[in-house]
Amino acid sequence: MIQLKGITKSFGRQQVLKGIGLTVEKGEVVVILGPSGSGKTTLLRCINYLEKPGGGEIRIGDCRVDCRAASKKDIRELRKRTAMVFQQYNLFRHKTALENVMEGLVVVQKVPKEEARARSVQLLEKVGLGAKLDAYPSQLSGGQQQRVGIARALALNPEVILFDEPTSALDPELVGEVLAVIRKIAKEGITMIIVTHEMGFAQDVANHVIFMDEGVVVEEGRPNEIFTSPKEERTKQFLKRFTPEGVYSI
Amino acid sequence: MKLDPSFIWTAFVQILSVIPTTLLITAVSVVCGLVIGTAAALIRTFRVPVLSEVAAAYVIFIRGTPMITHLLLIYFGLSLGVDALSKQFGWAFRSSSIPMIAFAFIAFSITAGAYASEVIRSGLLAVNRGQLEAAHSIGMTTGQALRRIVVPQAFAASLPNVSNLVVGILHASSLAFTVSVVEVTAKAQIVASTNWKFFDAYLAAALIYWGLTLLIERASALVEKRINIYYRGGVA
Ligand SMILES: Nc1ncnc2c1ncn2[C@@H]1O[C@H](COP(=O)(O)OP(=O)(O)OP(=O)(O)O)[C@@H](O)[C@H]1O
Ligand SMILES: [Mg+2]
Repeated sequence: MIQLKGITKSFGRQQVLKGIGLTVEKGEVVVILGPSGSGKTTLLRCINYLEKPGGGEIRIGDCRVDCRAASKKDIRELRKRTAMVFQQYNLFRHKTALENVMEGLVVVQKVPKEEARARSVQLLEKVGLGAKLDAYPSQLSGGQQQRVGIARALALNPEVILFDEPTSALDPELVGEVLAVIRKIAKEGITMIIVTHEMGFAQDVANHVIFMDEGVVVEEGRPNEIFTSPKEERTKQFLKRFTPEGVYSI
Repeated sequence: MKLDPSFIWTAFVQILSVIPTTLLITAVSVVCGLVIGTAAALIRTFRVPVLSEVAAAYVIFIRGTPMITHLLLIYFGLSLGVDALSKQFGWAFRSSSIPMIAFAFIAFSITAGAYASEVIRSGLLAVNRGQLEAAHSIGMTTGQALRRIVVPQAFAASLPNVSNLVVGILHASSLAFTVSVVEVTAKAQIVASTNWKFFDAYLAAALIYWGLTLLIERASALVEKRINIYYRGGVA
Protein backbone atom coordinates (compact mmCIF):
# COMPACT_ATOMS: atom_id res chain seq x y z
CA MET A 1 0.00 0.00 0.00
CA ILE A 2 1.13 3.51 -0.78
CA GLN A 3 0.02 6.38 1.35
CA LEU A 4 0.85 10.05 0.99
CA LYS A 5 -0.05 12.53 3.69
CA GLY A 6 0.14 16.29 3.42
CA ILE A 7 2.83 16.42 0.76
CA THR A 8 3.91 19.99 0.09
CA LYS A 9 6.45 21.40 -2.30
CA SER A 10 7.46 24.93 -3.20
CA PHE A 11 9.76 26.27 -5.86
CA GLY A 12 10.97 29.56 -4.47
CA ARG A 13 7.85 31.41 -3.42
CA GLN A 14 5.50 29.41 -5.63
CA GLN A 15 3.78 26.62 -3.73
CA VAL A 16 3.21 23.85 -6.26
CA LEU A 17 1.86 21.12 -3.95
CA LYS A 18 -0.37 22.28 -1.15
CA GLY A 19 -0.77 19.22 0.99
CA ILE A 20 -1.53 16.21 -1.17
CA GLY A 21 -2.94 13.09 0.44
CA LEU A 22 -3.69 9.88 -1.38
CA THR A 23 -3.86 6.17 -0.81
CA VAL A 24 -3.17 3.48 -3.37
CA GLU A 25 -4.01 -0.11 -2.54
CA LYS A 26 -1.78 -2.93 -3.68
CA GLY A 27 -2.48 -3.86 -7.28
CA GLU A 28 -4.47 -0.72 -7.91
CA VAL A 29 -3.99 1.52 -10.93
CA VAL A 30 -4.42 5.17 -10.09
CA VAL A 31 -4.64 7.76 -12.83
CA ILE A 32 -3.89 11.40 -12.04
CA LEU A 33 -5.51 14.00 -14.28
CA GLY A 34 -5.17 17.72 -14.19
CA PRO A 35 -4.37 20.79 -16.24
CA SER A 36 -0.84 21.75 -17.15
CA GLY A 37 1.06 23.19 -14.21
CA SER A 38 -1.21 21.62 -11.60
CA GLY A 39 1.73 19.77 -10.02
CA LYS A 40 1.27 16.22 -11.33
CA THR A 41 4.85 15.73 -12.40
CA THR A 42 6.10 17.33 -9.22
CA LEU A 43 4.01 14.92 -7.15
CA LEU A 44 5.41 11.85 -8.90
CA ARG A 45 8.93 13.22 -8.58
CA CYS A 46 8.38 13.73 -4.87
CA ILE A 47 7.32 10.10 -4.41
CA ASN A 48 10.55 9.01 -6.11
CA TYR A 49 12.46 11.70 -4.22
CA LEU A 50 13.83 13.23 -7.41
CA GLU A 51 12.32 16.32 -5.86
CA LYS A 52 12.59 16.86 -2.13
CA PRO A 53 9.13 17.57 -0.69
CA GLY A 54 8.86 20.46 1.73
CA GLY A 55 6.85 18.39 4.16
CA GLY A 56 4.45 15.50 4.60
CA GLU A 57 4.80 11.78 4.88
CA ILE A 58 5.37 9.08 2.30
CA ARG A 59 4.57 5.51 3.18
CA ILE A 60 5.27 2.63 0.84
CA GLY A 61 4.71 -0.83 2.28
CA ASP A 62 6.67 -1.03 5.50
CA CYS A 63 8.76 2.03 4.69
CA ARG A 64 7.58 5.25 6.24
CA VAL A 65 9.42 8.50 5.54
CA ASP A 66 8.89 11.84 7.17
CA CYS A 67 9.83 14.26 4.42
CA ARG A 68 11.17 16.85 6.82
CA ALA A 69 13.68 14.42 8.27
CA ALA A 70 14.45 12.03 5.44
CA SER A 71 17.88 10.45 5.69
CA LYS A 72 19.95 9.17 2.77
CA LYS A 73 18.91 5.68 3.78
CA ASP A 74 15.21 6.64 3.70
CA ILE A 75 15.65 8.01 0.19
CA ARG A 76 17.39 4.83 -0.90
CA GLU A 77 14.56 2.75 0.56
CA LEU A 78 11.94 4.84 -1.23
CA ARG A 79 13.76 4.55 -4.53
CA LYS A 80 14.11 0.83 -4.06
CA ARG A 81 10.35 0.52 -3.74
CA THR A 82 9.44 2.81 -6.62
CA ALA A 83 10.33 3.05 -10.29
CA MET A 84 9.71 5.84 -12.71
CA VAL A 85 8.81 5.87 -16.39
CA PHE A 86 9.68 9.27 -17.82
CA GLN A 87 7.97 11.37 -20.43
CA GLN A 88 11.29 11.70 -22.31
CA TYR A 89 12.18 8.00 -21.74
CA ASN A 90 15.60 9.00 -20.31
CA LEU A 91 17.29 5.83 -21.46
CA PHE A 92 21.03 5.55 -20.98
CA ARG A 93 22.16 6.41 -24.47
CA HIS A 94 25.50 4.65 -24.38
CA LYS A 95 23.90 1.36 -23.39
CA THR A 96 21.89 -1.13 -25.40
CA ALA A 97 18.26 -1.92 -24.62
CA LEU A 98 19.39 -5.00 -22.72
CA GLU A 99 22.06 -3.09 -20.79
CA ASN A 100 19.55 -0.39 -19.89
CA VAL A 101 17.31 -2.98 -18.27
CA MET A 102 20.18 -4.87 -16.62
CA GLU A 103 21.86 -1.79 -15.16
CA GLY A 104 19.75 -1.46 -12.03
CA LEU A 105 19.75 -5.19 -11.37
CA VAL A 106 23.51 -5.52 -11.61
CA VAL A 107 24.67 -2.24 -10.12
CA VAL A 108 22.02 -1.58 -7.50
CA GLN A 109 20.58 -4.95 -6.60
CA LYS A 110 23.86 -6.81 -7.19
CA VAL A 111 22.12 -9.62 -9.04
CA PRO A 112 24.69 -11.90 -10.75
CA LYS A 113 25.17 -10.87 -14.37
CA GLU A 114 23.84 -14.03 -16.00
CA GLU A 115 20.68 -14.01 -13.92
CA ALA A 116 20.20 -10.29 -14.57
CA ARG A 117 20.59 -10.88 -18.27
CA ALA A 118 18.06 -13.69 -18.32
CA ARG A 119 15.52 -11.64 -16.41
CA SER A 120 16.09 -8.61 -18.62
CA VAL A 121 15.67 -10.60 -21.80
CA GLN A 122 12.39 -11.94 -20.46
CA LEU A 123 11.14 -8.44 -19.67
CA LEU A 124 12.13 -7.07 -23.06
CA GLU A 125 10.28 -9.94 -24.66
CA LYS A 126 7.26 -9.10 -22.56
CA VAL A 127 7.25 -5.52 -23.89
CA GLY A 128 7.66 -6.85 -27.41
CA LEU A 129 11.32 -6.02 -27.92
CA GLY A 130 12.84 -9.48 -27.93
CA ALA A 131 14.37 -8.67 -31.32
CA LYS A 132 15.97 -5.39 -30.21
CA LEU A 133 18.11 -6.48 -27.28
CA ASP A 134 21.33 -5.08 -28.70
CA ALA A 135 19.93 -1.89 -30.19
CA TYR A 136 21.06 1.45 -28.81
CA PRO A 137 18.36 4.00 -27.94
CA SER A 138 19.30 6.05 -31.01
CA GLN A 139 18.38 3.04 -33.15
CA LEU A 140 14.90 2.71 -31.63
CA SER A 141 11.66 4.56 -32.28
CA GLY A 142 10.14 6.63 -29.50
CA GLY A 143 7.59 3.92 -28.76
CA GLN A 144 10.29 1.28 -28.58
CA GLN A 145 12.42 3.46 -26.33
CA GLN A 146 9.52 3.99 -23.98
CA ARG A 147 8.88 0.24 -23.85
CA VAL A 148 12.53 -0.24 -22.86
CA GLY A 149 11.90 2.39 -20.18
CA ILE A 150 8.97 0.34 -18.91
CA ALA A 151 11.05 -2.85 -18.90
CA ARG A 152 13.78 -1.01 -16.98
CA ALA A 153 11.22 0.02 -14.37
CA LEU A 154 9.73 -3.48 -14.14
CA ALA A 155 13.16 -5.08 -13.73
CA LEU A 156 13.57 -3.65 -10.26
CA ASN A 157 10.37 -5.34 -9.15
CA PRO A 158 9.19 -2.17 -7.41
CA GLU A 159 6.10 -1.89 -5.23
CA VAL A 160 4.81 0.88 -7.44
CA ILE A 161 5.63 2.18 -10.91
CA LEU A 162 5.16 5.88 -11.54
CA PHE A 163 4.35 6.91 -15.11
CA ASP A 164 4.69 10.57 -16.04
CA GLU A 165 2.82 11.14 -19.29
CA PRO A 166 4.48 8.10 -20.84
CA THR A 167 3.05 8.73 -24.30
CA SER A 168 2.97 12.49 -24.64
CA ALA A 169 6.34 12.73 -26.38
CA LEU A 170 5.33 10.11 -28.95
CA ASP A 171 4.08 10.42 -32.49
CA PRO A 172 0.37 9.54 -32.48
CA GLU A 173 0.86 6.29 -34.34
CA LEU A 174 3.26 5.05 -31.63
CA VAL A 175 1.01 5.82 -28.66
CA GLY A 176 -1.00 2.62 -29.01
CA GLU A 177 1.87 0.18 -28.62
CA VAL A 178 2.99 1.80 -25.37
CA LEU A 179 -0.51 1.97 -23.91
CA ALA A 180 -1.01 -1.67 -24.83
CA VAL A 181 2.08 -2.63 -22.84
CA ILE A 182 0.93 -0.61 -19.83
CA ARG A 183 -2.48 -2.26 -20.00
CA LYS A 184 -0.85 -5.64 -20.11
CA ILE A 185 1.22 -5.08 -16.99
CA ALA A 186 -1.73 -3.46 -15.22
CA LYS A 187 -3.56 -6.76 -15.63
CA GLU A 188 -0.71 -8.53 -13.85
CA GLY A 189 -1.58 -6.68 -10.69
CA ILE A 190 1.36 -4.27 -10.54
CA THR A 191 0.58 -1.14 -8.58
CA MET A 192 0.80 1.93 -10.77
CA ILE A 193 0.30 5.67 -10.58
CA ILE A 194 -0.13 7.13 -14.04
CA VAL A 195 -0.24 10.75 -15.11
CA THR A 196 -1.76 10.93 -18.56
CA HIS A 197 -3.83 13.02 -20.91
CA GLU A 198 -5.07 9.93 -22.77
CA MET A 199 -8.64 9.98 -21.48
CA GLY A 200 -9.87 6.82 -23.14
CA PHE A 201 -6.93 4.90 -21.78
CA ALA A 202 -7.32 6.47 -18.34
CA GLN A 203 -10.96 5.50 -18.23
CA ASP A 204 -10.43 1.84 -18.88
CA VAL A 205 -7.11 1.18 -17.16
CA ALA A 206 -7.79 3.04 -13.92
CA ASN A 207 -9.29 1.64 -10.75
CA HIS A 208 -9.19 5.06 -9.23
CA VAL A 209 -8.97 8.55 -10.72
CA ILE A 210 -7.59 11.65 -9.08
CA PHE A 211 -8.19 15.12 -10.45
CA MET A 212 -5.61 17.69 -9.38
CA ASP A 213 -5.56 21.42 -9.87
CA GLU A 214 -3.28 24.10 -8.50
CA GLY A 215 -1.51 21.76 -6.14
CA VAL A 216 -4.53 20.18 -4.47
CA VAL A 217 -6.64 17.08 -5.07
CA VAL A 218 -9.92 18.54 -6.27
CA GLU A 219 -11.85 15.34 -6.69
CA GLU A 220 -11.27 11.60 -6.73
CA GLY A 221 -13.26 8.47 -7.27
CA ARG A 222 -13.97 5.52 -9.51
CA PRO A 223 -13.35 6.23 -13.20
CA ASN A 224 -17.02 6.13 -14.21
CA GLU A 225 -17.94 8.54 -11.45
CA ILE A 226 -15.26 11.03 -12.44
CA PHE A 227 -15.71 10.72 -16.17
CA THR A 228 -19.50 10.58 -16.37
CA SER A 229 -20.68 12.55 -13.38
CA PRO A 230 -17.96 14.74 -11.89
CA LYS A 231 -19.13 16.76 -8.91
CA GLU A 232 -16.69 19.64 -8.96
CA GLU A 233 -16.99 22.48 -11.43
CA ARG A 234 -13.25 22.50 -12.15
CA THR A 235 -13.31 18.79 -13.03
CA LYS A 236 -16.24 19.34 -15.40
CA GLN A 237 -14.45 22.22 -17.12
CA PHE A 238 -11.29 20.15 -17.52
CA LEU A 239 -13.02 17.06 -18.89
CA LYS A 240 -15.10 19.08 -21.33
CA ARG A 241 -11.93 20.00 -23.19
CA PHE A 242 -11.18 16.37 -23.87
CA THR A 243 -14.43 15.11 -25.31
CA PRO A 244 -15.03 13.78 -27.79
CA GLU A 245 -11.86 14.03 -29.90
CA GLY A 246 -9.47 13.43 -26.99
CA VAL A 247 -11.03 10.06 -26.31
CA TYR A 248 -10.00 7.13 -28.33
CA SER A 249 -9.43 3.51 -27.74
CA ILE A 250 -7.05 1.00 -29.16
CA MET B 1 70.61 30.15 -47.53
CA LYS B 2 71.32 26.56 -48.41
CA LEU B 3 69.58 23.56 -46.94
CA ASP B 4 71.68 20.59 -46.00
CA PRO B 5 69.44 17.55 -46.57
CA SER B 6 71.89 15.10 -45.15
CA PHE B 7 72.19 17.11 -41.94
CA ILE B 8 68.41 17.41 -41.73
CA TRP B 9 68.35 13.65 -41.89
CA THR B 10 71.04 13.29 -39.24
CA ALA B 11 69.20 15.72 -36.99
CA PHE B 12 65.92 13.92 -37.64
CA VAL B 13 67.39 10.58 -36.60
CA GLN B 14 69.01 12.04 -33.50
CA ILE B 15 65.84 13.80 -32.44
CA LEU B 16 63.88 10.57 -32.79
CA SER B 17 65.68 9.29 -29.71
CA VAL B 18 64.00 11.90 -27.46
CA ILE B 19 60.47 11.43 -28.79
CA PRO B 20 59.67 9.29 -25.73
CA THR B 21 60.44 12.29 -23.52
CA THR B 22 58.11 14.56 -25.46
CA LEU B 23 55.39 11.91 -25.48
CA LEU B 24 55.86 11.22 -21.78
CA ILE B 25 55.44 14.90 -20.90
CA THR B 26 52.37 15.05 -23.12
CA ALA B 27 50.82 11.85 -21.76
CA VAL B 28 51.43 12.64 -18.10
CA SER B 29 50.11 16.19 -18.48
CA VAL B 30 47.03 15.12 -20.41
CA VAL B 31 46.14 12.24 -18.09
CA CYS B 32 46.64 14.28 -14.91
CA GLY B 33 44.96 17.23 -16.62
CA LEU B 34 41.91 15.12 -17.44
CA VAL B 35 41.64 13.93 -13.85
CA ILE B 36 41.95 17.48 -12.50
CA GLY B 37 39.70 18.82 -15.24
CA THR B 38 36.98 16.21 -14.70
CA ALA B 39 36.95 16.96 -10.98
CA ALA B 40 36.80 20.72 -11.63
CA ALA B 41 34.08 20.28 -14.25
CA LEU B 42 31.92 18.12 -11.96
CA ILE B 43 32.40 20.55 -9.10
CA ARG B 44 31.33 23.45 -11.28
CA THR B 45 28.48 21.67 -13.03
CA PHE B 46 26.95 20.56 -9.74
CA ARG B 47 27.75 23.89 -8.06
CA VAL B 48 29.46 22.40 -5.03
CA PRO B 49 29.60 25.25 -2.51
CA VAL B 50 33.00 26.94 -2.02
CA LEU B 51 34.82 24.39 -4.18
CA SER B 52 33.06 25.61 -7.30
CA GLU B 53 34.35 29.14 -6.73
CA VAL B 54 37.84 27.77 -6.18
CA ALA B 55 37.60 25.72 -9.37
CA ALA B 56 36.31 28.69 -11.36
CA ALA B 57 39.16 30.89 -10.11
CA TYR B 58 41.69 28.21 -11.03
CA VAL B 59 40.33 27.87 -14.55
CA ILE B 60 40.15 31.62 -15.11
CA PHE B 61 43.66 32.26 -13.79
CA ILE B 62 45.32 29.46 -15.74
CA ARG B 63 43.53 30.26 -18.97
CA GLY B 64 44.35 33.91 -18.49
CA THR B 65 48.11 33.41 -18.23
CA PRO B 66 50.67 31.88 -20.61
CA MET B 67 51.82 28.33 -20.17
CA ILE B 68 55.46 29.28 -19.92
CA THR B 69 54.54 31.45 -16.94
CA HIS B 70 52.99 28.42 -15.22
CA LEU B 71 56.20 26.49 -15.81
CA LEU B 72 58.40 29.28 -14.48
CA LEU B 73 56.16 29.88 -11.46
CA ILE B 74 56.16 26.19 -10.60
CA TYR B 75 59.89 25.85 -11.19
CA PHE B 76 60.93 28.79 -9.03
CA GLY B 77 58.04 28.68 -6.60
CA LEU B 78 58.34 24.97 -5.89
CA SER B 79 62.12 25.15 -5.54
CA LEU B 80 61.90 28.01 -3.06
CA GLY B 81 59.09 26.31 -1.18
CA VAL B 82 60.83 22.95 -0.94
CA ASP B 83 64.10 24.48 0.22
CA ALA B 84 62.37 26.64 2.81
CA LEU B 85 60.52 23.60 4.17
CA SER B 86 63.70 21.51 4.24
CA LYS B 87 65.49 24.22 6.19
CA GLN B 88 62.60 24.58 8.62
CA PHE B 89 62.47 20.88 9.41
CA GLY B 90 66.15 20.13 8.96
CA TRP B 91 65.68 17.68 6.07
CA ALA B 92 68.61 16.85 3.84
CA PHE B 93 66.39 17.11 0.75
CA ARG B 94 67.14 20.00 -1.63
CA SER B 95 65.12 21.22 -4.60
CA SER B 96 68.16 20.64 -6.82
CA SER B 97 67.60 16.90 -6.48
CA ILE B 98 64.13 17.14 -8.02
CA PRO B 99 64.43 15.95 -11.65
CA MET B 100 63.74 18.77 -14.09
CA ILE B 101 61.09 16.85 -15.90
CA ALA B 102 59.01 16.72 -12.71
CA PHE B 103 58.53 20.50 -12.89
CA ALA B 104 57.25 20.11 -16.44
CA PHE B 105 54.87 17.32 -15.36
CA ILE B 106 53.43 19.41 -12.54
CA ALA B 107 53.18 22.70 -14.40
CA PHE B 108 51.70 21.25 -17.58
CA SER B 109 49.24 19.09 -15.65
CA ILE B 110 47.97 22.22 -13.96
CA THR B 111 47.70 23.98 -17.32
CA ALA B 112 46.04 21.01 -19.00
CA GLY B 113 43.63 20.65 -16.07
CA ALA B 114 42.18 24.10 -16.63
CA TYR B 115 41.68 23.55 -20.33
CA ALA B 116 40.38 20.02 -19.79
CA SER B 117 37.87 21.36 -17.29
CA GLU B 118 36.21 23.43 -20.00
CA VAL B 119 36.33 20.52 -22.43
CA ILE B 120 34.71 18.10 -19.97
CA ARG B 121 32.22 20.70 -18.82
CA SER B 122 30.81 21.09 -22.30
CA GLY B 123 30.73 17.29 -22.52
CA LEU B 124 28.75 17.10 -19.28
CA LEU B 125 26.27 19.61 -20.64
CA ALA B 126 25.74 17.34 -23.63
CA VAL B 127 24.42 14.59 -21.33
CA ASN B 128 20.82 15.46 -20.56
CA ARG B 129 19.87 15.72 -16.93
CA GLY B 130 17.12 13.16 -17.40
CA GLN B 131 19.64 10.34 -17.54
CA LEU B 132 21.05 11.31 -14.17
CA GLU B 133 17.51 11.32 -12.80
CA ALA B 134 16.79 7.96 -14.37
CA ALA B 135 19.92 6.60 -12.72
CA HIS B 136 18.78 7.96 -9.37
CA SER B 137 15.29 6.60 -9.92
CA ILE B 138 16.61 3.05 -10.32
CA GLY B 139 18.44 3.48 -7.03
CA MET B 140 21.96 4.38 -8.09
CA THR B 141 23.95 6.65 -5.84
CA THR B 142 25.19 9.90 -7.35
CA GLY B 143 28.69 8.42 -7.49
CA GLN B 144 27.50 5.36 -9.40
CA ALA B 145 25.43 7.49 -11.73
CA LEU B 146 28.35 9.76 -12.53
CA ARG B 147 30.79 6.92 -12.99
CA ARG B 148 28.59 4.64 -15.05
CA ILE B 149 26.24 6.96 -16.88
CA VAL B 150 27.26 10.60 -17.02
CA VAL B 151 31.06 10.72 -17.21
CA PRO B 152 31.50 8.06 -19.94
CA GLN B 153 29.07 9.93 -22.16
CA ALA B 154 30.64 13.29 -21.32
CA PHE B 155 34.02 11.88 -22.35
CA ALA B 156 32.61 10.54 -25.58
CA ALA B 157 31.00 13.87 -26.36
CA SER B 158 34.19 15.77 -25.63
CA LEU B 159 36.49 13.48 -27.54
CA PRO B 160 37.16 15.86 -30.46
CA ASN B 161 38.11 18.57 -27.99
CA VAL B 162 40.23 16.17 -25.97
CA SER B 163 42.16 15.38 -29.10
CA ASN B 164 42.74 19.11 -29.66
CA LEU B 165 43.94 19.33 -26.08
CA VAL B 166 46.42 16.49 -26.61
CA VAL B 167 47.79 18.20 -29.72
CA GLY B 168 48.00 21.53 -27.89
CA ILE B 169 49.94 19.99 -25.01
CA LEU B 170 52.19 18.07 -27.41
CA HIS B 171 53.19 21.33 -29.07
CA ALA B 172 53.47 23.20 -25.79
CA SER B 173 55.66 20.48 -24.28
CA SER B 174 58.47 22.15 -26.24
CA LEU B 175 58.47 24.80 -23.51
CA ALA B 176 60.05 22.23 -21.21
CA PHE B 177 63.38 23.11 -22.82
CA THR B 178 63.38 26.29 -20.70
CA VAL B 179 63.90 24.14 -17.61
CA SER B 180 66.55 22.09 -19.40
CA VAL B 181 64.49 19.03 -20.18
CA VAL B 182 65.88 17.45 -23.33
CA GLU B 183 62.80 16.90 -25.42
CA VAL B 184 62.39 17.35 -29.18
CA THR B 185 63.04 21.11 -29.36
CA ALA B 186 65.94 21.05 -26.91
CA LYS B 187 67.47 18.14 -28.77
CA ALA B 188 67.28 20.03 -32.07
CA GLN B 189 69.13 22.90 -30.48
CA ILE B 190 71.80 20.56 -29.10
CA VAL B 191 72.24 18.78 -32.41
CA ALA B 192 72.75 22.08 -34.23
CA SER B 193 75.09 23.59 -31.68
CA THR B 194 78.08 21.83 -33.27
CA ASN B 195 77.64 23.27 -36.76
CA TRP B 196 75.18 26.15 -36.26
CA LYS B 197 72.69 24.69 -38.75
CA PHE B 198 69.78 25.62 -36.50
CA PHE B 199 67.31 26.06 -39.31
CA ASP B 200 67.88 22.54 -40.59
CA ALA B 201 67.62 21.08 -37.11
CA TYR B 202 64.40 22.90 -36.25
CA LEU B 203 63.00 21.88 -39.60
CA ALA B 204 63.62 18.26 -38.63
CA ALA B 205 61.93 18.94 -35.28
CA ALA B 206 58.94 20.48 -37.07
CA LEU B 207 58.55 17.38 -39.23
CA ILE B 208 58.55 15.23 -36.12
CA TYR B 209 55.91 17.35 -34.34
CA TRP B 210 53.81 17.29 -37.47
CA GLY B 211 54.06 13.52 -37.78
CA LEU B 212 53.09 13.04 -34.15
CA THR B 213 50.15 15.40 -34.57
CA LEU B 214 48.88 13.46 -37.57
CA LEU B 215 49.14 10.23 -35.59
CA ILE B 216 47.16 11.67 -32.68
CA GLU B 217 44.47 13.01 -34.99
CA ARG B 218 44.20 9.70 -36.82
CA ALA B 219 43.92 7.76 -33.59
CA SER B 220 41.23 10.04 -32.21
CA ALA B 221 39.26 9.86 -35.45
CA LEU B 222 39.26 6.08 -35.16
CA VAL B 223 38.08 6.13 -31.55
CA GLU B 224 35.48 8.75 -32.36
CA LYS B 225 34.07 6.68 -35.18
CA ARG B 226 33.62 3.70 -32.89
CA ILE B 227 32.00 5.74 -30.15
CA ASN B 228 29.71 7.74 -32.37
CA ILE B 229 27.76 4.65 -33.32
CA TYR B 230 25.72 5.21 -30.16
CA TYR B 231 25.05 8.84 -30.76
CA ARG B 232 23.65 8.76 -34.24
CA GLY B 233 20.22 9.74 -33.03
CA GLY B 234 21.48 12.82 -31.19
CA VAL B 235 20.18 13.80 -27.78
CA ALA B 236 16.54 12.99 -27.10
N1 LIG C 1 12.34 22.75 -11.08
C1 LIG C 1 11.38 23.69 -11.02
N2 LIG C 1 11.70 24.97 -10.68
C2 LIG C 1 10.75 25.91 -10.61
N3 LIG C 1 9.45 25.71 -10.87
C3 LIG C 1 9.07 24.47 -11.22
C4 LIG C 1 10.01 23.40 -11.32
N4 LIG C 1 9.35 22.28 -11.69
C5 LIG C 1 8.06 22.64 -11.82
N5 LIG C 1 7.87 23.95 -11.53
C6 LIG C 1 6.59 24.67 -11.53
O1 LIG C 1 5.68 23.93 -10.75
C7 LIG C 1 4.40 23.94 -11.33
C8 LIG C 1 3.89 22.53 -11.48
O2 LIG C 1 4.69 21.86 -12.43
P1 LIG C 1 4.45 20.36 -12.84
O3 LIG C 1 5.49 20.03 -13.84
O4 LIG C 1 4.38 19.52 -11.63
O5 LIG C 1 3.04 20.42 -13.53
P2 LIG C 1 2.25 19.30 -14.32
O6 LIG C 1 0.95 19.16 -13.65
O7 LIG C 1 3.09 18.08 -14.45
O8 LIG C 1 2.05 19.97 -15.73
P3 LIG C 1 2.08 19.33 -17.21
O9 LIG C 1 0.74 18.74 -17.45
O10 LIG C 1 2.32 20.51 -18.10
O11 LIG C 1 3.19 18.34 -17.25
C9 LIG C 1 4.52 24.70 -12.63
O12 LIG C 1 4.03 26.00 -12.42
C10 LIG C 1 5.99 24.74 -12.91
O13 LIG C 1 6.32 25.92 -13.56
MG1 LIG D 1 4.05 17.11 -16.08
